[in-house]
Amino acid sequence: MPRYALRRLAASLLTLFGVVTLVFVLMELAPGDPAAAARAATGRAVSPEAVAAFRRLYGLDRPLPVRYAAWLSRAATLDFGRSFLDGRPVTRRLAESLPPTLALNGLALLAALLVAVPSGVAAARRPGGRFDRVSGFVFDLLFATPAFVAGLLLLLVFSARLRWTPLFSDPSRGVAGWVLPVATLALASTALIARVVRSCVVAALGDPAALAARARGERGAAAVRRALRRSAGPFAALGASLVPSLAAGSVLVERLFGWPGAGRLLADAVFSRDVPVVAGLTLATGLLVVAAGTCADLLSAFIDPRTCEEPPRLSTAAEVR
Amino acid sequence: MRAVRSSVGLLVFAAVALLSPLLARSRPWLEDAGGRVVLPAPIPHDPDSVNLDERFQRPGTAHWLGTDELGRDVLARLVHGTRVSVGAGLLACAVALLFGVTLGATAGLVGGRAERAILFVVEIVQAFPALVLVAAAAAFLPPSFLVAALLIGFTGWTDAARLVRAEARRLRTAPFVEASRASGARRSRLLLVHVLPHALPPALATAPYVLGAAVLTESALSFLGLGTPPPASSWGRALADARDVLTTAPWCVLPPALALLLLVLAARRFGDALLPAPRSRMPLA
Repeated sequence: MPRYALRRLAASLLTLFGVVTLVFVLMELAPGDPAAAARAATGRAVSPEAVAAFRRLYGLDRPLPVRYAAWLSRAATLDFGRSFLDGRPVTRRLAESLPPTLALNGLALLAALLVAVPSGVAAARRPGGRFDRVSGFVFDLLFATPAFVAGLLLLLVFSARLRWTPLFSDPSRGVAGWVLPVATLALASTALIARVVRSCVVAALGDPAALAARARGERGAAAVRRALRRSAGPFAALGASLVPSLAAGSVLVERLFGWPGAGRLLADAVFSRDVPVVAGLTLATGLLVVAAGTCADLLSAFIDPRTCEEPPRLSTAAEVR
Repeated sequence: MRAVRSSVGLLVFAAVALLSPLLARSRPWLEDAGGRVVLPAPIPHDPDSVNLDERFQRPGTAHWLGTDELGRDVLARLVHGTRVSVGAGLLACAVALLFGVTLGATAGLVGGRAERAILFVVEIVQAFPALVLVAAAAAFLPPSFLVAALLIGFTGWTDAARLVRAEARRLRTAPFVEASRASGARRSRLLLVHVLPHALPPALATAPYVLGAAVLTESALSFLGLGTPPPASSWGRALADARDVLTTAPWCVLPPALALLLLVLAARRFGDALLPAPRSRMPLA
């Protein structure tokens, strides 16, 4: 187990290195000159001296390998420089935008779990039964619905028609002010969680161990509880696979509802070509996904030591998608 | 047979996309010598013609699905938007498959260092949600239909690569491949003649899902204002515009929303029919 954990951590570190490199390549892809982009963003003519000073400030006058080395060392200390737009450190802008996003994602995840686990279990109690078929259809539909379409439909009904909720998220309005963005973000996760819970519980209930317990007289809730516990490994992988979908969902939902978080920051920064902010946020997302995958693998190794015997696979999370 | 029947939905969308310049245009299909309209186009409106006198028209006989805040016909824009969605989806899907199949087959057949390098790249690309990676790349490139479609393709090849690699790896030691290798076939011949024909079908079976995901990413990108630039009508942009006039013109939301949903569902349905199992609900390892 310790050897497996070390190997897995080493593999993740290597991936992180690749992630950092990919973001660097992306930044180098920019055609023309980031100085010109900054000029376009501020909308004013800039003197050649100012452009030269700007290039020096951001180190754009140095050769590629030097820039790459500098980028690596800055990424290692999570220092992404200053925003092109307001000159404040990217790290601070990121830190400011994180709490609203974490609140949104936390609430959405909670809502998704509250709906998905009971309905997944209920569907698994009678596979092929009426509830299983209806909920399977609904969740398939939800899974295919993109977040911004679902959010717009919710806005159409609850804000434009019924006028129960404001058109933009507004914490001062209490529950009505944030329920729509949370519900929108939760929809796709609900579908995914319910499907995984259902298939895991079906598999666990059909297991010889479950049959033996049944022979000993285990019934109902106790059997389900045991089935859920036995599925802990896949659930860890599920948790890791939720991270990328929640991250992408946050970008769309925050934009749609005007939620002042990291997702909106990314969309705005891309729109205004604020290169340091885009690079910082992209890198942060990559770090988060890799960290979640690593945690999931370590957790399932802890839960079920048999997974250690296989060579460390690339990532379990990718297979749940 | 199931696959044929379930492809009807996708074919309808493809036909609308192909025929959209004919279906929705203000120029009639047939005019007589005097310039009088003999046979008008089914939807007699240009998608881009701005008419401020006809802003916010409710759905009715003149405009079946109403008009938007610039007086443009919603139906005409919907029909023309199909080109962007289907086109970007197909292009991205083709790029993703080409990339995935080539790299996957190379990894599986060559093995060793090349295989590890390719798998490493797969791992890195999968560390980002597709939308985040495509949006970030869009920040550094000029906005256009082609850039968006290619970017989506370059992020969507990893699943196909994994599948093809697994298949090619299995085939590397298959007797007929070994026989060919023993008789002096070059690697390129092994790849093209022996490995690809076997490794291709499972990758092609994922094409509808890749298509669906590409369509979604494209419209999400357009919704964020980063996809196909303004005058062209795309569903994602139509949804973003509709969001701004939600209370004045609620009829602008449903057409692009439902069209997008139906296209994605049609792609998934086709994909499900291609899978060997009757319906694998959960591809959990």
